[in-house]
Amino acid sequence: MIPASFEYFAPRSLEEALQLLAHHGTEAKLLAGGHSLLPMMKLRLATPRTLIDLGRIRGLSYIREDGGRISIGAMTTHAEVESSELLRRRAPLLPETAAEIGDVQVRNRGTLGGSLAHADPAADYPAALLALDAECVLTSQKGTRTVVAKDFFVDMLTTALQAGEILTEVRFAADSPRTGSAYRKLHHPASGFAIVGVAARLTLDATGKGSAVSVGITGVAPKPYRATGVERGLLGQTLDAKRIAEASAQATRGVEPLSDLQASARYRAAMAAVFTRRALAAALGRAQKQG
Amino acid sequence: MANFSIVGQRLPMVDGPDKVTGRGLYTDDLALPGMLVGKILHSPHAHACIRRIDTSRAEALPGVKAVVTGRDFPNRYGILPIGHDETAFAVDKVRYIGDNVAGVAAVSEEGARQALELIEVDYERLPAYFDPEETMKAESNWIHDEKPHNIEKEYHHQFGNVEQGLAEADLVVSERFACSEVTHAALEPHSTLAHYDPATDRLTVWSSTQVPYYLHLTLANVLGMPKEKIRVIKPLIGGGFGGKSEVIPVEVEAAVLSRQAALPVKITYTREEVFYAHRGRPIQIIELTIGAKRDGRLTGVKARIVQDGGAYCGYGPVTLLYSGALLGAMYDIQNVQFDGYRVLTNKPACGAMRGHGTVNTRFAFESLLDRVACELGIDPAEIRLRNQLQPPCITVNQLRVTSYGYPECIRQVVEKSGWGEKRGKLPYGKGVGIAGSHYVSGAANSIIRSEMPHSTVNLRVEDDATVTLLTGASEIGQGSDTIQLQLVAEELGVRPDRIKLVAADTERTPIDLGSYSSRVTFMAGNACLAAARNLRKQLFEAVARVWGVSADQLEARDDRVCAQNGSGKVMSFEQAVAAARQQFGTLEATGSYAPPAEARGGKFKGAGVGPSPAYSYSAQVAEVSVDTETGQVSVERITVAHDCGRAINPMTVEGQVEGSVWMGLGQAVQEEMIWNQGRLMNPSLLEYKSASTLESPEIVPILVESVDPEGPLGAKEAGEGSLAAAIPAVANAIYDAVGVRITSTPISAEKILKALRERQKPQARGNGGRR
Repeated sequence: MIPASFEYFAPRSLEEALQLLAHHGTEAKLLAGGHSLLPMMKLRLATPRTLIDLGRIRGLSYIREDGGRISIGAMTTHAEVESSELLRRRAPLLPETAAEIGDVQVRNRGTLGGSLAHADPAADYPAALLALDAECVLTSQKGTRTVVAKDFFVDMLTTALQAGEILTEVRFAADSPRTGSAYRKLHHPASGFAIVGVAARLTLDATGKGSAVSVGITGVAPKPYRATGVERGLLGQTLDAKRIAEASAQATRGVEPLSDLQASARYRAAMAAVFTRRALAAALGRAQKQG
Repeated sequence: MANFSIVGQRLPMVDGPDKVTGRGLYTDDLALPGMLVGKILHSPHAHACIRRIDTSRAEALPGVKAVVTGRDFPNRYGILPIGHDETAFAVDKVRYIGDNVAGVAAVSEEGARQALELIEVDYERLPAYFDPEETMKAESNWIHDEKPHNIEKEYHHQFGNVEQGLAEADLVVSERFACSEVTHAALEPHSTLAHYDPATDRLTVWSSTQVPYYLHLTLANVLGMPKEKIRVIKPLIGGGFGGKSEVIPVEVEAAVLSRQAALPVKITYTREEVFYAHRGRPIQIIELTIGAKRDGRLTGVKARIVQDGGAYCGYGPVTLLYSGALLGAMYDIQNVQFDGYRVLTNKPACGAMRGHGTVNTRFAFESLLDRVACELGIDPAEIRLRNQLQPPCITVNQLRVTSYGYPECIRQVVEKSGWGEKRGKLPYGKGVGIAGSHYVSGAANSIIRSEMPHSTVNLRVEDDATVTLLTGASEIGQGSDTIQLQLVAEELGVRPDRIKLVAADTERTPIDLGSYSSRVTFMAGNACLAAARNLRKQLFEAVARVWGVSADQLEARDDRVCAQNGSGKVMSFEQAVAAARQQFGTLEATGSYAPPAEARGGKFKGAGVGPSPAYSYSAQVAEVSVDTETGQVSVERITVAHDCGRAINPMTVEGQVEGSVWMGLGQAVQEEMIWNQGRLMNPSLLEYKSASTLESPEIVPILVESVDPEGPLGAKEAGEGSLAAAIPAVANAIYDAVGVRITSTPISAEKILKALRERQKPQARGNGGRR
């Protein structure tokens, strides 16, 4: 299996990459790890004329915290996210999610930005980004703009990225006290992608009521979504197993679940509820542990 | 216990080091000067007439050295003499999406691919048939004109009197089982390198084949070349599992392209092409009825089996006949009826896959037997013991059974799995299930209907006192090289590293029918013993003359020849060889094996399939846990006992048994080829899930050595017999865990969840009334 021939560029700076992107336009694809793009090229599902490899640009791979805001460079690998001490302490939902992506080889090469920009409806990260209320930083020759995760994912394999733009950074608030989170996933047995992936983050107030609850769901619909029906059922409520189970029944409210070889729409919907409950229950346990 | 020195040892596999270090050469690793890349144009239509093919633009493309279509090589071939229905490329009709339309050989892969795009084909589409039960109703546009109603073959066997048997039963149960199609998913894709040399008019072919001899015959036929002009060599094989046990289109195509181009041509299938080449385990619909007395004794079994064969014959009728022949033959059942249909559909042909033909039937039988046991209130392990054969015996369908370790297998797995403490007693969601299976140790009748020996082995002692073992048997990862080497070393009493093995090269090695139906240890093994005994006889004669003793007083062991007459005379193997050389010059011997007449079965239509010189047996207990919210099954432990006759190499036997169980588990819970109008929806390993080491449960292998009177030093089959039982063992364990019976494979999470919802209340469990 060999891809069709293409032109390859490996810019050394973001400016150079943006220039190349502007020049080659829609004929060009950005290479940011390649674990989705290269297999698609080998199968000739994608035949870009030009590849712009972002792998040699310094300064796009970092994880840092500044005043309670965490920012992660787009070329940070899944393995780096998974093993980051800072994230494990301050936003453990993301490393927990990263650990569920593909296998070790994929996690060593694949990048946060690459995965998000590809927008596979069964990718793991989008669920976490939605639950974290993250912002995506998009850079072009004209400057930068930020788009919240909810608006970044437009449709299956489609994002808010415009021609000439590169996703350069993801930002979100670190966990506040008495916050717990969890990612729970029903794996596709062969590819490891999420048939259902649920990322939940919740914060308890002093009385044990949910002061913030967010649930991001991937794999279920053409694009990842916030399960607002579930969140509404829990916000301001005293959280316990029963209430979580009731609220989780709303996991697919307002969305039309996908039906494919691995799971019918009906099964997916049922599993979305089960995994939402499991993610929320785990998140609640973790929040409570923080006292 | 016989006193062996090398047999019974856990000798590392002789081909292991090359494989694990990456030094070993598989077909795709090979290259010749001037070698071209071959590519195949596959049909986009499931059923269509070819009105016109124009290859002129492809031929004109620079770098293209040959373009071949069906009319260039129209000779028909097929693995069975009754099924010569394939050609190198489609002559006038395509019969499945992926059928072979034309081939191109070019100096580069990209060039070959471009050339394919330049071939113009006009098709006239025909109605296509995809459903095995619907296709039998077709009145016209049959897939092969000479096969009315798309029925390739049908067989109707009645032994004893089934209606009477069922009438005498206290309990009669029936069920319809449906098994999905699964495929081998060997790691190595099919690959062939063919080199036709016009200067000598000779063709040499290196190919990923389990059957070099059959490939040799087929190539001679398709190319219209005399056999002596063709040489077939089998390099290392990265797994076969039956998928390389008949001639696969790529093998013929590389050869005809090389012949046309007069240059070496290599074709390696893409993974998608491997899936479409298929020849795996077919869709089967099995309507099964079992009758039993109150005490669990079976009074009759009746099966109607429809096998979705795909578009060509392949091994199909054999697959179907195995489904019938081994249906009732592992238990003492006097009344057996089998009605089988092998039907044609517009999909890739099914064929032989590990456990050939027996697996789906065994799933159905052992599942239904479990239900019989539960409804009669008999322990499922016990009901199997109550129906055991009494060997030596001949089954109602005339299979000769000489050794039968099945009861011991059951007792062992019951004891080692904790069956008695677990069955019906684990918490809701957890359960255990038992099942059995068996398999042939090679077919007693050759598929090519030849009376020649099935295996022949030559031994030659070299001047340096090494022994060259020339065998046609094909190592495909199952350990056949190692086993043959151990048998020869044992019999000659020499160190294993004295033996150099030359295998599976039709120009240098004697004929062996190939690696399929678990025949190699038994048949090539017996040939090894015969050859080694002949050689030893010469050696002893020479030594006896030197010492002035009788040859029958000599023994060979530990690399020495000793006199057993109290004289204490000892000679090293080298000295013995030197003595023999002085007396005889060269030192060579041959040995062969053909199954005895009394093992070759009955005379009825279809009686040729099923008979074997010996049968292996397997019993398994599966322990599972079911997530009742998701329906997901996790197989936690398999305790498996396999009656292998004698374990020549316990390590490789255990490896084979574990591999069989693991492959069975894949079919049990997740593997399935999904078709839509003749198109495969999951033709990649990212979509079709074959179990990897990560998913393997704990497998506890137990070897039961029944020592078969016909087997080499008592050995029987080890590579397939344990596969089938894994599936019903899991199904029965799921029933024990959550009280639902799933009657189709794969037993997916979605099916279990649906069954659980339909049967809301956990109290309704039928597993012995607990809770």
